[in-house]
Amino acid sequence: MIRAGRRRTVSRRRAARMLLAGGLLLTVLTAGCGVRPSDVITGRAAVSGPSAGPGFYLISHGELTLVLRATKPSPGPSLPAATLALLAAGPTPSERSAGLSSEVPPDVAPATVTPSVDEPGITVTMSGAVLPLSTVAANQIICTVVFAVSGQGSAPVTLVGPDGTRPPWPCPLG
Amino acid sequence: MTPWHRARAMALGLRVRLLLAFALLGVTTTAVVASGSYFQARTVILQQAQDAAVASLTDQLSKVYPVASLPPTQEELDVLAQSLSDREVDTVVRYGELWSQRADAADIVTPELRQEVAGGRVAWQRVERYGTPVLLIGTQLRFERSDGTSVPSGVEVYSVRSLVTEQQSVDRLAGLAWVTGGLSLILAVLLALLAAQGVLRPVRELGRAARRLGEGDLSTRLTVRGVDELADVARTFNDTAGTLEHQVGELRRMEADARRFVADVSHELRTPLAAMTAVTDVLDEEADRLPGDAGQAARLVSQETQNLTQLVNDLIEVSRFDSGTARLALDDVDVAAAINATLRLRRWADRVQTDLPSGVIARLDPRRLDVIVANLVGNAFRHGTEPVSVRLRAEADWITIEVADQGPGLDPEVLPHVFDRFYKADTARTRSEGSGLGLAIAWENARLHRHAGQSGSLVAGNTPDCGAVFTLRLPRVAAETVDAGGVR
Repeated sequence: MIRAGRRRTVSRRRAARMLLAGGLLLTVLTAGCGVRPSDVITGRAAVSGPSAGPGFYLISHGELTLVLRATKPSPGPSLPAATLALLAAGPTPSERSAGLSSEVPPDVAPATVTPSVDEPGITVTMSGAVLPLSTVAANQIICTVVFAVSGQGSAPVTLVGPDGTRPPWPCPLG
Repeated sequence: MTPWHRARAMALGLRVRLLLAFALLGVTTTAVVASGSYFQARTVILQQAQDAAVASLTDQLSKVYPVASLPPTQEELDVLAQSLSDREVDTVVRYGELWSQRADAADIVTPELRQEVAGGRVAWQRVERYGTPVLLIGTQLRFERSDGTSVPSGVEVYSVRSLVTEQQSVDRLAGLAWVTGGLSLILAVLLALLAAQGVLRPVRELGRAARRLGEGDLSTRLTVRGVDELADVARTFNDTAGTLEHQVGELRRMEADARRFVADVSHELRTPLAAMTAVTDVLDEEADRLPGDAGQAARLVSQETQNLTQLVNDLIEVSRFDSGTARLALDDVDVAAAINATLRLRRWADRVQTDLPSGVIARLDPRRLDVIVANLVGNAFRHGTEPVSVRLRAEADWITIEVADQGPGLDPEVLPHVFDRFYKADTARTRSEGSGLGLAIAWENARLHRHAGQSGSLVAGNTPDCGAVFTLRLPRVAAETVDAGGVR
């Protein structure tokens, strides 16, 4: 009796196991069908390319924003210096209506951009005072110079004015 | 075998088990293979579609450069989005809070995708839109600088591409997988049936042959096919049946030889015995006149010769039964008169209590009835105690004759052997007064009378008040046909 009972239990257990396996198989077959939504897949670096004109940084909603102008920069001493002149001139009315503003005072131009003497980096010598410049204005100048000068990705920039020198500082934008 | 048992046997039978095993094997294999290749093919299809879409988008975006002016106006965004969209692809362009028109695609751009895109890489994701799968691809537009680094322009492009074509391909794959599974299941079932047929037919033949052998047909043989285990079994069966047939034949032959020997011996003894009987008859008449021992010896010889004659006659009778040559000589007989005649002839009429209703007519062999009754009554006198009674009872088709005595009755151990030849109930008695064949002959004679498939019978037993009783049952109308030999 006991033996028969055990055998019955075993066969029932085996049947249950087979049922489970079949159910699993069926689940896999039906649930895995079709095109399923996925997680985010990342590929190579984002698309990048050259810019056509001089670029400088204005402020939009309190953040630095790259601005390109279709107009050719006026032929002058150098591209960075010319760009700085554009930056000092401030946004055009259309840019202003698009919500762009600048904290850079117009008297910083003309300026000269030279490599730093005793350290890697760039030195910008301006006509106006540099010490009273706000942090945002300094960042505008630094990032504009870094964008304009080739081969100086994250170099620190030293701002020099008639009133003194600001310590070297890199552009905060990546 | 109840129907339930038979159904259970069918359900758990070899055929069903083979069928299930094959089907399970086929389905499992197909499921594994089909689902494996299905998943792989699906991955390949989707990957190719995604890679192609991403490549096409980045190719188109690289044509945007060089970018002349930033920030873009709404029109510029719209134009860009328009140029990147076609029949299959919806593209939206975002600059800060500014979205290109047809911004319905913007709703499905997931936060996690935007986060990845803001990190500066091309990213894509499959999502569901209106119940159909679509591929979302997002990327920034960046400006590269001469030192290899790049800065974000603030423009992000998201394109939405329908994956319905790919889904159709994948669905077609699934359909193919199901069809393959179904076909393989059918194939497995067919194979299983074939295999079951191959295994079951020899097994069934073996079972049938074994049954025939058990029923006594020793010439049963199987056809041996192939060289597998079943063929081995068939060969063994044939060998066994052959040995059995041979041995049984040998036994039968030996038994027949022994019987023929007895019959021959009995016949051979008859002629000298006839001569001896004639001589002893003379001796018997002279015995009284012979002096002393000589007379006694003459009487003894005469007596023993009579006994020997009786024995030889009985042996001849028995060998007739054994060889199946015993025949009934049927006649319409008044049973009561016949029994009375038997008793009178042997001078037992006044020693036997009879209860014989007259007018019972039966069609049977009177000589054999006489032999039976004489044997039973003689046996009762020899082994039982008087009074011996004979009772006749008649039914519609059968008559019953009971011969009873008042002796100690039959020992239960003796009862099964009462009708055996030369069986001695009392082992202490070395010599029976009878031949030792009387009851055996009576039993054979009773069996010889047949009616409607039933043969007559002779049964030994005890009466409730101590005493042996032999019950003879004979058909009222015995058939002419007789069975061949009494097999006990």
